[in-house]
Amino acid sequence: MRLPPVLLGLLRRTGILALTLLAGALLVFLAMKAAPGDPALSVLGENARPELVQAFRRDYGLDLPLWRQFLRWIGGALHGDLGRTLTIAGGVPVGELIATRLPVTAFVGLYALLLAVILSLILGTVAALQRGRALDTLTTSLAVLGVSMPDFWLGYVLVFFLALNLPIFPSYGFVSPAQSIPGALLSGFLPALAIAAPMAAVFSRVLRAALLEVLHRPHVQAARSLGHGEAFIFLHAVLRNALIPYVTVIGLQVRYLLGGVVVIERVFGIPGIGSLMVDAAFGRDYPLIQACALTFLAVVLATNLLVDLVCTRLDPKARA
Amino acid sequence: MRRGRATLRLGLGITGVVLFGVLAGPFLTPFGPEEMDFLNVLTPPDAMHWLGTDSFGRDVLSRVLSGGRISLFISACGVAAGAVLGTTIGMGAAWRGGAAEAGVMAGSDLLFAFPSFVLALFLMVVLGFGVQNVIVAIALTYLPIFARLSRNLTRTLMHEPFVQAARLMGQPPRRILLSEILPNILSTLMVQASIGIAFGIVIEAGLSFLGLGVQPPTPSLGVILSDGREYFQRAPWVLTLTGALVSVALLGLNLLGDGLRDLADPRLRRAAGP
Repeated sequence: MRLPPVLLGLLRRTGILALTLLAGALLVFLAMKAAPGDPALSVLGENARPELVQAFRRDYGLDLPLWRQFLRWIGGALHGDLGRTLTIAGGVPVGELIATRLPVTAFVGLYALLLAVILSLILGTVAALQRGRALDTLTTSLAVLGVSMPDFWLGYVLVFFLALNLPIFPSYGFVSPAQSIPGALLSGFLPALAIAAPMAAVFSRVLRAALLEVLHRPHVQAARSLGHGEAFIFLHAVLRNALIPYVTVIGLQVRYLLGGVVVIERVFGIPGIGSLMVDAAFGRDYPLIQACALTFLAVVLATNLLVDLVCTRLDPKARA
Repeated sequence: MRRGRATLRLGLGITGVVLFGVLAGPFLTPFGPEEMDFLNVLTPPDAMHWLGTDSFGRDVLSRVLSGGRISLFISACGVAAGAVLGTTIGMGAAWRGGAAEAGVMAGSDLLFAFPSFVLALFLMVVLGFGVQNVIVAIALTYLPIFARLSRNLTRTLMHEPFVQAARLMGQPPRRILLSEILPNILSTLMVQASIGIAFGIVIEAGLSFLGLGVQPPTPSLGVILSDGREYFQRAPWVLTLTGALVSVALLGLNLLGDGLRDLADPRLRRAAGP
C-alpha cells in the first residue's frame, strides 16, 4: 500500500521535528553542563558535608558520565518524566509543573494572537484599500510605532491608563480560564494587548503589502468583469490569495510572541511558563530551565509544522 | 520611492538626535547620572528636571541619556559581533556547499527555532549576568540570523557571471567572497543590522528589567525601567517617560532600517520583523 503524498510529507516533517527537538535537547543539556557552578553546592550550600554532596549527586545522576546522564534525561522525558526541580517549589516533578503552567501561557499567547489578527485584519485592509491616502499613512505610521515599543513597557502604560481608570481590567494577577472564562478574558486582556500590539503592527504591514500585490492581478479583473460584487471579490479573490504570506508571517512571529510572553507574564504576575523560566533562572534550577527552554522550542517547532500545513491547504500549487 | 526617502530621512533625523543626545549627554544636562539629591526625591517633571527625579533624587533625563549610551553600546557590540561571525560562517558555508553547508544551516535553524528572548535568557543563565555576557547573548542570538541571511544571499550571487569571471581568473575564494560578493550583499546585511540593534536594545532592556541582565548600579535602560517599576504607583512618570523616549529611539532605528531597505532593494520590502 502506498501512502498518499500529503501523509508522507507530514510523516517526514514530523520526523524532522523530532530530530530537531533531540538536537535542541542535546544543545541545551551541554550548555547547562558548561555553565559555571555546581548544582549540588548551589542547592546544599557551599559548606555542605561531602557525603551529602555525594548522595545528592547520586540521587540526581550527576556522578554518571555525560552521555549516560543525557540518555537518562531523554529516556525519562520520553516517559513524561523530566526529573525533579532543584530549588523551585521544593523538588516537585518538572513535568507536572510545566503541565500546570503551559495552559496558562497557551491561553495568554492565543489570546494575544487573536487580538493581533483582529487588529491587523482591520488595519491592513484599511491601509491597502486607502493606499496613499491619509488613513494609509496613519495606519502605516501606527504600525512602525507599534513595532518600536518594548512590550513590557507598553504593559505598564496600559495598566496606568486603562486599569487605573477602568477598574474592569485588573492591573495585576490572573484568573484561570478553568475558574471563570469572563474573568480570564478580562484579566488576560491587558497582557494580551501588550504582546499583540507590536505583532499586529508587523501583521498589518505584511497584509497590506500582500493585498496590494493581489489587488491588480488579472483574476481579480476577471472576477470584476463577471459582475461579482466588490465584497465577494475581496473575500474570495483577493483576501484568500493574500492569506499565504500573512499566515506565514504569523507563524514566524510566534517566536517573538513567546519571547514577549516571558517578560509580560512577569509584569502582570501571570503564573505561566515564562515566569516559571524566570524563577528557574533566578534559582539556578537547572532541570527546570532545560525543560522550559525545550518546551518553548517544541511549541515553535509545532507551530512551524502547523503553518506549513495551513499554507499547503491555502495554496493549491503547493498541494500537488 | 518618495515615501522611502521620507522614511529614511525621518529615521536618520531621529537616530541622529538620539546619537547626539546619548554621546553628548553629560554636557547637555547639569546633573550627573549618579548625582543624588535627597531633598528632591521623586519630583514630577518640571523645568529643572525634565523627566523628574527618581527615589534617590537623581535626574532621570541624565540617567536615561547615559543609560542609552550603555544600552546602545551593548546592543551595537552584540549585533556587530553576531553579524561578523554569522556572515563569515554563512558565506563560507555557501561557498563550500555540501555537508559543511548543510551542517551550518541545520545548526542555525536549530538556534533560530528558539524564541530570541528565551535563547538570550537561557544564555544569561549559562554565562552569568553582567554587561559582557549580555553582549555575548545578543551576539549568539543574532549569529544564526546573519548566517542564514548571508548564506542565502551568497547562494543567489555565486553563479552570477562576474563571480564566475573572478573564479576563472584564478582569484582565491577568500578574495572573491570579500571583494566580489560581500559588497553586493552588504546593504541587505546593514538593513538587518540596524533593525537588529533596535531589537537588541529591547532584549537588553527586557533582560535587565527582569534582573537577569545588566546589574545595578550600572544604569542601562533596562535597569532604569526596572527601577521605575518599583515606584510606579508613586511616580509613574519615570517608567512612562523613559519608555516613551526608548520607543522614539527604537522608532528612529526601525525607520532607518525600513528606509535603507527600500533604498537597497524594493523587493525585500515585505520581509518583516525581528
